[in-house]
Amino acid sequence: MKRKLIAAIGIAGMMVSIAACGGDSDDDGKKAGADGYAGQTLTVWVMDGSSPDDWQADLAKEFEAKTKAKVKFEIQKWNGIQQKLTTALSEENPPDVFEIGNTQTPAYAKTGGLADLSDLKGEIGTDWSESLNKSAVFDGKQYAAPWFVVNRVVVYNKKIWADAGIKETPKTRDEFYNDLKTIGEKTDAEPIYLPGQNWYHFVGLAIGEGAELVKKDGDKYVSNLSDPKIAAATETYKKFQALSKAPKDKDEATPQQGEIFAKGKTGSFIGMGWEGATAIATNPAIEKDLGYFTIPGAAAGKPEGVFLGGSNLAVAAGSKKQELAKEFLKLALSDKYEGGLAKANGVIPNKEALQGNLKGNAAAEAAAPAAGTGDTTPLIPEWAAVENDPNPIKTYLTAVMKGKSPAEAAKQVEGEFNKRLAQQQ
Amino acid sequence: MKRSLFGRVWPNATAVVLFIGLVFPVYWMFATAFKPTGDIISEDPVWFPTDVTFEHFKTATEADHFWTYVSNSLIVTVCAVVFSLIIALAGSFALARMRFKGRRGFIVGFMLAQMAPWEVMVIAIYMIVRDASMLNSLVPLTLFYMMMILPFTILTLRGFVAAVPRELEESAMVDGCTRTQAFRRVILPLLAPGLMSTSMFGFITAWNELPLVLVVNKEAESQTLPLWLTSFQTVFGDNWGATMAASSLFAVPILILFVYLQRKAVSGLTAGAVKG
Amino acid sequence: MTVQTERPPSGPSDVRKADGGGTGGPKARAASRAGALAPYLLLLPAAAATVLLLGWPLLKDGLLSFQNLNMAQLIQHVTEWTGFDNYKEVLTGEDFWRVTLRSIVFTAVNVVLTMLVGGLIGLLLARLGRAMRFVLMIGLVLAWAMPVVAATTVYQWLFAQRFGVVNWVLDKLGWHSMADFSWTGSQFSTFFVVTVLIVWMSVPFVAINLYAATTTIPGELYEAAALDGAGTWRSFTSVTLPFLRPFLYATTFLEIIWIFKAFVQVYTFNGGGPDRLTEILPVYAYIEGVGNQHYGMGAAIAVLTILILLGLTAYYLRIVLKQEEDEL
Repeated sequence: MKRKLIAAIGIAGMMVSIAACGGDSDDDGKKAGADGYAGQTLTVWVMDGSSPDDWQADLAKEFEAKTKAKVKFEIQKWNGIQQKLTTALSEENPPDVFEIGNTQTPAYAKTGGLADLSDLKGEIGTDWSESLNKSAVFDGKQYAAPWFVVNRVVVYNKKIWADAGIKETPKTRDEFYNDLKTIGEKTDAEPIYLPGQNWYHFVGLAIGEGAELVKKDGDKYVSNLSDPKIAAATETYKKFQALSKAPKDKDEATPQQGEIFAKGKTGSFIGMGWEGATAIATNPAIEKDLGYFTIPGAAAGKPEGVFLGGSNLAVAAGSKKQELAKEFLKLALSDKYEGGLAKANGVIPNKEALQGNLKGNAAAEAAAPAAGTGDTTPLIPEWAAVENDPNPIKTYLTAVMKGKSPAEAAKQVEGEFNKRLAQQQ
Repeated sequence: MKRSLFGRVWPNATAVVLFIGLVFPVYWMFATAFKPTGDIISEDPVWFPTDVTFEHFKTATEADHFWTYVSNSLIVTVCAVVFSLIIALAGSFALARMRFKGRRGFIVGFMLAQMAPWEVMVIAIYMIVRDASMLNSLVPLTLFYMMMILPFTILTLRGFVAAVPRELEESAMVDGCTRTQAFRRVILPLLAPGLMSTSMFGFITAWNELPLVLVVNKEAESQTLPLWLTSFQTVFGDNWGATMAASSLFAVPILILFVYLQRKAVSGLTAGAVKG
Repeated sequence: MTVQTERPPSGPSDVRKADGGGTGGPKARAASRAGALAPYLLLLPAAAATVLLLGWPLLKDGLLSFQNLNMAQLIQHVTEWTGFDNYKEVLTGEDFWRVTLRSIVFTAVNVVLTMLVGGLIGLLLARLGRAMRFVLMIGLVLAWAMPVVAATTVYQWLFAQRFGVVNWVLDKLGWHSMADFSWTGSQFSTFFVVTVLIVWMSVPFVAINLYAATTTIPGELYEAAALDGAGTWRSFTSVTLPFLRPFLYATTFLEIIWIFKAFVQVYTFNGGGPDRLTEILPVYAYIEGVGNQHYGMGAAIAVLTILILLGLTAYYLRIVLKQEEDEL
C-alpha cells in the first residue's frame, strides 16, 4: 500500500515538469565587445521634457558615427526619481550616463555612486560657468558635468490679457497683481494657475527676499523657515495663490500646469520655457496666444528672485563603460549640442560663450534678466532628503495657503524638516 | 409563512439601492471612458454617454510599451496562479486527507504566511533579487507573486478537498482505480469549482501588484500594467477620460474572468450539490 | 452558488469534524505505513517555496533592521551594523506610536463596517427571491472584481474636487459648501473616502461567503426551533448565529489582515497625506524606508508592523490551534 507515496510523487513530478517551463524568460545582459566600442550600447537617462526628441536623435546619430556605439535614451519622471536612481546605482548595470538635478548632485556625490570626472573637466570644462559648475563639485572633486540651468518666467495667454484690456506686461509685483485682478474681473478666465505647492517658485521668492531656507546650528543644518524674510516670501505667494482656483495641496506637475493652460482658459502660470512647449504639444492652437515675461519684482527694473533649477550629467561609478560615457559627455556638451539645447529649450547653457543661442527664444529672453540674481537651494548633501515626498516645504506651503500663519506653519513642519536634514547618511 | 406587503418590498428595495451603490463606481468608470472630454468636464454630470467616443481608449493604448505591459502582466499573472494552484493542490490534499505529525504546524505556518506584509518587505526582496542578478526579469516577479497567493490558495483548497466525500474516493479505489487515478478521475473534477474560485483571488492579487514591480523592474520591457495605470496621473494630468479608459482596460480582464468563472463554479457546484 | 467559492479555512474542517468522526480507525493504520512520508512529500513544494520566497526575505528584512542602510550603503553594498539603533529610534519617537494607534483604529473601523454591512447583505441575499438575488449578486461580483489600482483611480475621479460627481450630488442635495470640496485636503475626509472604498470592495467577499454559509444550514434546525416556539429573532440567535460563527471568525481574520495591509488604497489615493496624517503602518514603513531612503529604518518598522499584525490576529490563531488540536 504505497498509494500515498505514489500519488505524492506523481504530483511532485508534474510540478517539476511545469515549473521547468517557467524559467525561460531570459534577460539579456549584453557585455561590452572587446574591440573598440562597436556593438556597445550606452544607456542614458534623461528627465522628461529636459531635451527635445530631435536633439537626442541627432546626438545619438553623430555619436554612433563617431564611436560605432549606440545610445539608448531612457526618459525618466521626476516623481520618485531619487529612489529609482539610488537603487539603479547599486545595480550591476546602472545607467551609464544620467541627468541629475543640480540640488540633488551633492548628496549623490557623497554616496560614491558618481564617477570622478575631474580629468574631463580639465579637458573640456575649463570654460564652464562657475555658477553652474558649483553644484557639480563636492569635496574638491568634479562629480558631474554642468548641463544647463533654467529659471521660471510668467507664461501668459496674450488673448486673455488683451480681452481684459491690458496693453503692456507688468513691470512690478503690484502691477502684476492688479493685472491679474483685472483679468479676474473682466474675463471668465482664471487669472493665474498657481497650485499651493509650486515650491520652486516659493524658493525663488525667498531668494528674492534674501532669505535662507536652512541655517547652521553648531555643525548641523536646521530649518530657517521661521525667518521673517521667509514669511514675507510666503505672504507674496499666498496673495497670488488666492487668485487661482488650483488645488492648494498639489504641485505644478500633478496635473501638468502646461496642460491646464493649453485649454485656453487660464491667464497665466509660473513655469519654465519648456512648459510652454507642453501646452503647445497638448493644444497646438494655443501657440499664437502664448507669451512670456520676466516675473516682476517688488520694484521696477529689479526682477523677482528665481530658483535656478537645472541639471548636471553624471557618469555612474559602477558603469563598465567609463571611457565611452566620457566620449558621450564630450559630444553632448560640445558647443554644437550644448548650444543646440540652449536654442531649442531656451535654457542657460554651461558656458557664457554659448549664450548667444538664446537670442530669439522668447522664453529665454524673458528668463535672462532674472537669472543673474537667481540661486539654488542649499548645495549640501543633507538637502536631497528634504526633497523626498512628503516634502516638508510643500507641507509648509499648503498649511499657509489653507490659513495658518507662516510662523505657525513653520513650527508645524520644523520637526520633519530638521529630522531630514539630520538624517544619518 | 406569510409576509406583509412591507415585508416583501423592503428586501427588494434595499437590494436595488445596494445594487446601485455597488455598481455605480464601475459604471462611472466605463461611462467616463466613453464620453467626449466636453461631457466629462461639465458643470452638470452627463449620466449616460450618448455621444460615444473611443478617443480616450486610443490615447490610453497608444502609450509607449502598452502591449508589452499587457503581455507581461498576463504571463506573470497566469504563471503565478497556475504554479500556486499546482503546489497548493498537493499540499492541501495532504492537509485535508492525511494525518501526520506537524500537520497543525503546517496549517498555522501557512496562516502566518498569509499575513506577510509584502509592501514593507520590498527593499529586502529587491536586494535579494539584485544580488541574484535577476533584475528586470519576469521570473522573480512570477515567483514572488506565486508566493503571495500560495498560502490563501492552500488554505482554501484544503476546505474544498475536505468537502469531497471520502467515500467517493474509496469507492473508486474499490472499483480498481489506484489512488492517483481516483484523485484524477473523482476528486479533481469535483474540485474544479474550488480551483476556479481560488484562482480568481490569485489572479486579482497578482494582476494588481505594484510596489514590488516598481523597484525590481526598471526597464519598460519587463514592467506590468499597474505601473502603466498609476503613471497616468502624471502623464495625462487631469485627463480623466484617458485615465478611466485605462482603468477600464485594466479592469476588464478581471471582470470577464469573474463572470466566466462564476458561471463555471456554479455549474460545478450544482453537480456537486446533488450528492447532498 | 459560490457556496464553496471562498470557504474560510476553518469552515470545512468543522464540517468534517461533524460528519467524519467515526472513520478514525482505518486512517490511523494507513498513516503508520511506509506512506507516512507522503504528506511531507506533498507539502514539500509548498514548504520549500514558503521558506525560500517568504522566509528568506523576512530574514533579510530582519537583518537589514539592524543595519544603518541609506543611499551610500545601498549604492556601495556596504554593511554597517548598528545593533538596536533603528529600533531605539523608532520606538522612542512619537510618530511610530501615533501611526500604530491610527492603524489599529483604522483597521477596527473598517473591519467592523465591512463585517456589519457584508453580514447584513449576506442575510438579505438569503431572503431575496431568485431574480433579485441574481441582480444583487452581479453587483457584488462587479465590485469585488474591480482591481484595487483601478478602483482607487476611479474613486479619485468620483471624489475629484472639480467635476467629481460626489461633490456635484452633495451640492444638489443642498450642501452647497461641498461644491468645490477637496477630499484630499484633510485627514478625516481622506480617511472617509478610503473607508468607503475599502468597505465597498471588501463587502462582497463577506456577503457572498456568509450567504453561502447560510444555505448550508440544515432546514430541520429552524423547524426544531419553530416547534420550540422561537420567533424570528430567537431562531436567528439560536440557530443562524451559532452556525455561522466559524465563518464569521474566519472572514474577520482575513479582513483584518487585508485591511491592515491596505497599502495601495491609502498610498495611491493621497500618499499618506495631507501632512502625513493618514499614514498607516505599511505606508509609514514605505515612506520612511523607501521614500526617505532610510532603508534600515524601514526594515525595522516592517518588523514591528509584522509583530503588531500578529498581535491583532493572535486570538484567532489560538482558536485555530486549539481546533486543529481537537481534531487530531
